Amino acid sequence: MAEFSWAPRSSLEKALVAGAHGARGIEAGVSLTEIRNFDLIQVMARRGKGAELAKATKARFGVVPPDAPKAVQTPDATLIWSGPDQFFVLSKGGKHTMLTLAPALSGPASLSDQSHARVLISISGAKARTTLAKLSSIDLYAGAFPIGAAAATSMDHTSVTLWRGGDRPDELAVFNLLVFATFAESLWHTMLDAAAEFSVDISHSEELA
Amino acid sequence: MASAQTNRLDDGGLIDRSAPLNFRFDGKAFSGFQGDTLASALIANGVKLVGRSFKYHRPRGILTSGSEEPNALVELRTGARREPNTKATTAELYEGLEAASQNRWPSLRHDVMSVNQLFAPIFVAGFYYKTFMWPAKFWEAIYEPAIRRAAGLGRAAGVADPDHYDKAWAHCDVLIAGSGPAGLAAALAAGRSGARVILCEEDFVPGGRLLSDGGTIDGVPAAEWLSRTLAELADMPDVGIMTRTTLFGVYDGGTYGAIERVNDHLPSPPEHQVRQRLWRIVAKRCVVAAGAIERPIVFAGNDTPGVMMASAVRTYVARYAAAPAKRIALFTNNEDGWRTVETALSAGLQIAAVVDARPDVSPAHRSLASKGGFPVLHGSVSGVDGGKDGVRKIAVSLTGGARAEVEADGLAVSGGWNPAVGLTSFHRGRPTWNDDISAFVPDGAPPGMTAAGAANGDFGLGACLSQGFAAGATAARDAGHNGKAGIAPVADDEAFSLTPLWHVAGKGKAFVDYQHDVTASDIELAQREGFESVEHLKRYTTLGMATDQGKTSNVAGLAIMAAVSGRSIPETGTTIYRPPYVPVAIGAFAGHHRDETFHATRLTPSHHWAVEQGAVFVDTGLWKRAQWYPRAGEKDWLESVTREVKAVRSGVGFCDVSTLGKIDVHGPDAGAFLDRVYINTFSNLAVGKARYGLMLREDGIVYDDGTTSRLAEDHYFLTTTTAKAGLVMQHLEFCRQVLFPELDVQLTSVSDQWAQFSIAGPKTRDLLKEIVDPAEDLSNEGFPFMGAREVTLRGGLEARLFRISFSGEMAFEISVPARFGDAMARNLMLAGAPFGVTPYGTEALGVMRVEKGHIAGPELSGTTTAADLGLGKMMSTKKDYIGRVLAGREALTAPDRQVVVGIKPTDKARRLRSGAHIIPKGQTPGPGNDQGYVTSVCFSPTLDQWIGLALVERGRERIGEIVHAHDPLRGEDYDVELCNPVFYDPDGGRQRG
Amino acid sequence: MRIVCPFCGERELGEFTYLGDAKPMRPVAGASEDEVFDYVYLRDNVAGETSEYWYHGGGCRAWLKVTRNTLTHEISSVEAAAGAGAAKVGA
Repeated sequence: MAEFSWAPRSSLEKALVAGAHGARGIEAGVSLTEIRNFDLIQVMARRGKGAELAKATKARFGVVPPDAPKAVQTPDATLIWSGPDQFFVLSKGGKHTMLTLAPALSGPASLSDQSHARVLISISGAKARTTLAKLSSIDLYAGAFPIGAAAATSMDHTSVTLWRGGDRPDELAVFNLLVFATFAESLWHTMLDAAAEFSVDISHSEELA
Repeated sequence: MASAQTNRLDDGGLIDRSAPLNFRFDGKAFSGFQGDTLASALIANGVKLVGRSFKYHRPRGILTSGSEEPNALVELRTGARREPNTKATTAELYEGLEAASQNRWPSLRHDVMSVNQLFAPIFVAGFYYKTFMWPAKFWEAIYEPAIRRAAGLGRAAGVADPDHYDKAWAHCDVLIAGSGPAGLAAALAAGRSGARVILCEEDFVPGGRLLSDGGTIDGVPAAEWLSRTLAELADMPDVGIMTRTTLFGVYDGGTYGAIERVNDHLPSPPEHQVRQRLWRIVAKRCVVAAGAIERPIVFAGNDTPGVMMASAVRTYVARYAAAPAKRIALFTNNEDGWRTVETALSAGLQIAAVVDARPDVSPAHRSLASKGGFPVLHGSVSGVDGGKDGVRKIAVSLTGGARAEVEADGLAVSGGWNPAVGLTSFHRGRPTWNDDISAFVPDGAPPGMTAAGAANGDFGLGACLSQGFAAGATAARDAGHNGKAGIAPVADDEAFSLTPLWHVAGKGKAFVDYQHDVTASDIELAQREGFESVEHLKRYTTLGMATDQGKTSNVAGLAIMAAVSGRSIPETGTTIYRPPYVPVAIGAFAGHHRDETFHATRLTPSHHWAVEQGAVFVDTGLWKRAQWYPRAGEKDWLESVTREVKAVRSGVGFCDVSTLGKIDVHGPDAGAFLDRVYINTFSNLAVGKARYGLMLREDGIVYDDGTTSRLAEDHYFLTTTTAKAGLVMQHLEFCRQVLFPELDVQLTSVSDQWAQFSIAGPKTRDLLKEIVDPAEDLSNEGFPFMGAREVTLRGGLEARLFRISFSGEMAFEISVPARFGDAMARNLMLAGAPFGVTPYGTEALGVMRVEKGHIAGPELSGTTTAADLGLGKMMSTKKDYIGRVLAGREALTAPDRQVVVGIKPTDKARRLRSGAHIIPKGQTPGPGNDQGYVTSVCFSPTLDQWIGLALVERGRERIGEIVHAHDPLRGEDYDVELCNPVFYDPDGGRQRG
Repeated sequence: MRIVCPFCGERELGEFTYLGDAKPMRPVAGASEDEVFDYVYLRDNVAGETSEYWYHGGGCRAWLKVTRNTLTHEISSVEAAAGAGAAKVGA
């Protein structure tokens, strides 16, 4: 009997090389961090069940789900708007999986597991906005895209979910990006090309920021 | 050793004399300074001849000092970076710059093709149309190559551009084009109001005409006001000035295109940097302060090197401290031209004469003339004596009929100013004629855009400042910013007083469009031949169709047409203005999207494992898919594919099929929804079962197919073909949101969530037993054909197992969450080793589907019905579904339709090729007897011969008939037998066993 | 061109896919061939305001009904399809 290993492997396992990338001799203007092995559940309200889902969500998370393009932080999850009547529950450590969420939400909502369908990349640094301006048509100016703002949008013709997390300790903005897993390596290379002139600091993490 | 800068003035200019730069023009070494353009540096070195003209190879010099330049076009840089038709007037000088003149052979001074001038009478307007009409075949063979050698401008590099380009988005409240007095005043007002401002300036230094013309603003010299203003703007965090950036286009919804020449001023871009960047700017409001362009007057010899726009003379003298000539004559019809005299005199240059076409000259100018010791002649320049060495003498027709001659080595010309109406006219706005300045001014600007200052036809410095300031304040307010703008800067307005003059009659060629060599007589000829409409005039003479888009020539051309056709200029009208305002390199539009990054790519979950296995990949849409897995010693793809097929048919193999579109269909009405989008019924599918489904378009033609499984009462898992995955999702969302909003159903793409593998072959169960938990029942009873359910794998991983078969073998498809896809491929290899498991690629997959007669992309061609594909029986008669009604149309149900059949060559050794036409045996192929075509072929290792599928008229009734395959593309003709499309295991015993 | 998605706000054209005229309504089940033929094939060629379907596929995946002037490209209104945001039905 063969011994099987079921080691998860990120779509960026090969492409992501931790360390410095791009222009040398300057301080890294962009930090790119991949966050691995998260749970991501798509929650879609059923017809006429918006209010019921809001109630069930409030009971489970202490907050109602975002009904506009926003990301709402709870102690152990982030609820991210992903379209009309739908949102993502992003969490780590098995706290909110299909198994645990279905009993709470599957009456008023349909749930679909997207944990493996996306790659999560966090982008920050003094040149984060300048880099993202090459990839995104969204206005990420501080006043136009404040902390907690979210967008279902496209980068390089690839659908992404983008939201602004809490600022870094040095007060620089943090942008989080969920990209479809099969597109991730391609978009990663595009991001590296866009950021290379600013010098990039690359890492991966098991922790949500 | 670089030659001395003979024409460099001793002091002044915005050049850094402590930073000398060496450069080469046509191989000859020169030097200039930081802050020079190539044009100013050539002028400083006394170079007058810089190129040969397009058609007549006339010697040409520098006409302007900006991006409107029609003459001084050079090849900049060498090798792969060589860029033709670069304007010397905007190219910044850098150390080591190399430029070459264009359109001359063997050298600029001795150009063989200048004999074209002698044949000038045949090179008139429309000569292409008139000359080379017959015989047609001569055109490609003789005329066109000859003309291409003779005409044209620079040479393209001919090799791939080694530099990178990118694209970026920017957003602002107020976008300003131009950093002259109007643009800066607009930026001040908008910035102080609290608006986000982007100011684009195509020059490398902000300031516009202030840099050349000076003046007094708010009681201080313009230069001082400029530096004070730039400092104030720099302190505003939401105001950005982008130099070296030209706003070139206006698009719907307040979107603007701009090209930033990021590193054109360096020999090559620094590592990781781009040469140019294309900006898409989204702005709530736009102020066009792009200024005006001084226009030439058309007279004989007006293209002689040394004839230059009067404002350009001022720019070269004041901004670059470079004298275009030592003894300058001025030909003007307006007051502004006289400023060149003042600038020249204060720089110590000599004025030969002023030829003023107006009836009166002010006393102030008369006294300037007497102080400067030069005559003022009332009349017009009617000819220029000179050549490649420049102007020598100028002939003047004096008012009253007498003639005069003036000796000069340069002639400054001012025919007035044309507001830069490009940007304001790009949404089909038609500029209107303003008699005061005899020029077109903006009208019908796109929503949210206003013009200010010279771009709006107000040329005075005071007017530019006040208008720009007001426009900036208004734009900010309209964008929702009400901060205090403060007080507008103040300056006096200079007099302009112009008497229109377009064309001076005289002997010799008088050029309207310098870049395309269009003369006044070409326009007169066009009118005589009936091409009076401006759009006809443009196309017949090519007026305004060169890379400069007629910036210096269009209005003069219209004026001459108006005069000869007896209409006014506004009656004659303008042609339609279209972006881009300046040429933009294709590389900038492509940006990142070239070569390997031409488009995004998608990789399957087992991609890197397949790379390790040495797989050969094929591009399938955006995907890279493993096509086959070659092994050592295999001589070609066919050998590898044949081995893979045989391994599956006799043992077991697996293939990553994650590229199929996968969609979760949830909700109480999921079954009812699927009933409406598929031709067959899904609401009655039992939980734990899969069913093959076919979708039609509303017009009755087949759209897509795939299996759909019911995983729970309110949860179906639908699959699509790889090619249509995105489109089917879009279609289903349309059905859900638009057509059937009353249904409670939710859709989610889960294509990327699941790594899906097909495992096929008689030993499939043996392999699966090694992978799945021993408690799972995989027997035919426990997991029958078309079963679908969740299973637990050894190690506890949850997976989905589907007993479906594309290959015709005993087969399952297994899905695991995508991060485990790589592990799944490795574990299948491990678990399958005792059974000789073989990974197979898309080729083997395709071979097995043809052997089994399964339809795929080539048969789902957008012309076939369900019945054509042999699936007519699936069409439910008990329900409504998309495409049902129109699928019943007469033509779609006609008995003589082309339907899917199998084909085999009568000569068993023959290779088949798809695309061959099917003709009745013994007939001569022709459109009248074309009965269909071959859609898919493969070499069948199982049958040991080539087989195929074809769409053939009444094919199913003709099984066993020998027909003729005619392949004119490859020159092949052979006979094939029509047969059952299911070549392999027609009763399906293997996949059900 | 930019379209104001009722859910996402103003977005650039590249996020949207055009389908076509939003005026024809899909005939109910049992409709005649002629009615369905008209629905599938008959279109007005309007110089002026038209309503048309656009898909925000590069964003929230909502289908939108956009009223656009074909002469000026001016968009005067954008509505979500009835089935986009249906969780509020009956609320």
